[in-house]
Amino acid sequence: MRYILIVITLILSLASNSGFAQGLIKGKVFDSNTLEPLHGVYVIYLKNQGTITDEKGVFYVKTDSSGFDIAFKFIGYKPAVKSVVTTKTDTLELNVGLDMEIQEIGQIVVSANKSEQKIAELTVSMDVLKSADFLKTHITDAQELINKTPGIEVLDGQASIRGGSGFSYGAGSRVLALIDGLPVLSPDAGSIKWQFLPLENIAQIEIIKGASSVLYGSSALNGIINFRTADATNIPDTRFFAETGVYGKPKNRNWIWGNSPQLFTTLSFSHLQKIGKTDVGFAISLLTDEGYRKFNDEKLGRISLNLKHHNEKVKGLVYGLNINTGYNAKRDFILWENAENGALKQDTSSVSLLHGNFITLDPYLSFNNTGRFKHDLRIRLQSTNNRFPVRAGNNSDALSFYSEYQLYYKLSDLLNFTAGLSENYINIVSAFYGGHDGINIAGFTQLEANPVPRLKLVAGLRVEQNELDGKKDKTVPIFRTGINWQAADYTFLRASFGQGYRYPSIAEKFASTTLGSVKIYPNPFVHSESGWNAEAGIKQGILIGKTSGQADLSFFFSQNNELIEYVFSNYPDPVTGIFDFGFQATNVEQSRVYGYELEFALNRAIGGFNTSLSGGYTYIYPVEFNQTTQRNTDIYLKYRRKHSAKISINSSYQKFDLGLTLFAKSKLLNIDDVFINELTRESILPGFFDYWLENNTGYFLIDGNLGYKVNKTLTLSLAVKNITNTEYMGRPGDIQPQRNFSLRLSGKF
Amino acid sequence: MKNRVLLLIIAVCLIIFSCKKSGQSERFLLLTAPTWGSDSLLANGADASGPDGMLKNFKGEVKFNEDLTGNFGVYKGTWRFAFNETQIVLTTDSLPIPLTTKIAELTQSSLKITTSYPNPLGVQTNIRMTFKAR
Repeated sequence: MRYILIVITLILSLASNSGFAQGLIKGKVFDSNTLEPLHGVYVIYLKNQGTITDEKGVFYVKTDSSGFDIAFKFIGYKPAVKSVVTTKTDTLELNVGLDMEIQEIGQIVVSANKSEQKIAELTVSMDVLKSADFLKTHITDAQELINKTPGIEVLDGQASIRGGSGFSYGAGSRVLALIDGLPVLSPDAGSIKWQFLPLENIAQIEIIKGASSVLYGSSALNGIINFRTADATNIPDTRFFAETGVYGKPKNRNWIWGNSPQLFTTLSFSHLQKIGKTDVGFAISLLTDEGYRKFNDEKLGRISLNLKHHNEKVKGLVYGLNINTGYNAKRDFILWENAENGALKQDTSSVSLLHGNFITLDPYLSFNNTGRFKHDLRIRLQSTNNRFPVRAGNNSDALSFYSEYQLYYKLSDLLNFTAGLSENYINIVSAFYGGHDGINIAGFTQLEANPVPRLKLVAGLRVEQNELDGKKDKTVPIFRTGINWQAADYTFLRASFGQGYRYPSIAEKFASTTLGSVKIYPNPFVHSESGWNAEAGIKQGILIGKTSGQADLSFFFSQNNELIEYVFSNYPDPVTGIFDFGFQATNVEQSRVYGYELEFALNRAIGGFNTSLSGGYTYIYPVEFNQTTQRNTDIYLKYRRKHSAKISINSSYQKFDLGLTLFAKSKLLNIDDVFINELTRESILPGFFDYWLENNTGYFLIDGNLGYKVNKTLTLSLAVKNITNTEYMGRPGDIQPQRNFSLRLSGKF
Repeated sequence: MKNRVLLLIIAVCLIIFSCKKSGQSERFLLLTAPTWGSDSLLANGADASGPDGMLKNFKGEVKFNEDLTGNFGVYKGTWRFAFNETQIVLTTDSLPIPLTTKIAELTQSSLKITTSYPNPLGVQTNIRMTFKAR
């Protein structure tokens, strides 16, 4: 009996050993182009078995099978499959380089659905601006950058995407600006503080062209611009540049002012590094600009710090803190002296020095363990202060506390679910607006489905409510849906519908002031504006020989109701009751915009030349709409242009880099009557009407840049903007910069 | 079955239209229901409805249509409420700017609106217009 037991034990032991004797495959997955290890690559073998690569791109596979295929899948890269043969005692090393897909259609973006996705698979139109591209062209101001994007116009700080907005004197943006997905509109004016957006530490900027309120709430009525800061990589990255430039003489020699040319200077530094389990990013930028116009100068400093820690004990737990802060002293240009010889001189009645402070503190926590669940908790504490030394009545302190919780749940391979809650509390202390408290509370949910391969469906719902000074506004439900179908390997068709709305800013409700000869009256009864847009589009990847790229064609339609416009009339003062001329925010405009847009980007490498060609053309038909008759009127919307186009070519050869960008925009179709009306036009902008009749013809611009790599670290570059010295105007009285030159020394190590 | 669908559509339409009607405010209904006739048109306290008066073009019938168009004496244009329905803004091609007026009285039988036309060079003109329902 004892002998039998020993034999059985021995047999079981051998069987057991043979069961656990496994072959080991270990390896590393990396980008075949940059050799950068890829973290999070799915390594799938046999049936339903797999692992993912770690932060160093390393994976381990233990198996008792002898021959099988291993698939490597990673978003933005072409999948790779490797056949392996092992024995149970082998240790096999398998290093795999993954090739990126056609870059333009394989770009990873997060803004459209609040989760990582390929740009080609979106249901909405999105433009992506890469920092490497705009740094070459010496653009240091986010407003200039966005204004030079196809289909977008920024008039004196107010962005309009595909004709969705006009110009409303700086209050109430219909385009929501975000830094890393969190809103950064000023709580008081509801405007974008362009000067404080940290371009020196940006990985990419994602622009959604169309109503995005379901995911981002009020103010995303016309779209969003998401500035995504750069993450640290395994290799520390340090960059800097020092730039100085000069404005040339204006084309109209009567407009020359001052005895010497005006200068501008920018210094910028950024550093990204992983320190242990912590990613650190730091950036600073300093700017002085004497201004090409008299009394329109600026001094600016901004600093950003990004800290992200990967918890060692709890896998998938990441937390951190982002800080953005800035200070500027500037004099905005409001009214010119006259068209004849004072278009570049600000009328002294509207000159006002502003000292502005801005800070955001963003603590966050994210937990993503299994890939099925992801929890995100993010907070933004934002403070902005405006100080006017000679107009103390316009001072304003604004504080906001935004928090958002979001749950991502992968229900199955076919269905994802996202839901979240957000709140935004604002507090305003101001002689200009009065003291106000408000809160915005919202809940949102979204389903993404892939019912069959190559087909994606998205549907989302948001419910939002605003409360201001204890008064609750109506609860607003808004809806979006979209579809994307990959018709062929590089062909993607999409269609979407989205609703949007915007709650009025504090400025639109309560601002009461006088700027030169212009009076602004408060209107506490102005209410939310709303709208929707629909779009159909096709994105086609291009891969012909050594030329790769993409083309995107979209047709869009939007309708907005009760848009808030500043209307000129005779208004009674709310305190004294005395009537005077001025402006007041009013729900007055119903609008429709029809249009189409074609964008393209092509890259080609021949010999030592790397050349890229990109551009876009946008056509819009923006018209007022009569709600009662449900018909279009013949009246064009104000501050819109029918045609806009951009084409950009950049070529690098050995140590040289050359770029040329051409812009063309047609005339403004309509402007506020106050600038045309015989009764008012001369008192507000002397000489404007005649200038407008003669010069509202559209414009054509050329920018150019030339770079030379001094060594592996340093690059010297020259940029000339507005090479043809074209004279052109944004909103009435806002002449844009004449030809200017800048020289930059930049470094990367 | 077809009849039931038709009845359902009619019922839905009736509900929608009845909702729209009841969605209008009392002031909107009071203003748009009658045709108004000018009763007194005063500028700085004096009658200004005569042939040389500054308000002569407001003399006669005034009608505020539900589609926000209207006839205001000889003027044709659009109207809208403002400032929580305490003001009426009249816009016509004949007036240099939209005219904002305060509602002093609005009943089934009487409409009184006041406004001032600022004059940067001199004394502003205070206007008071009274209309009676016809």
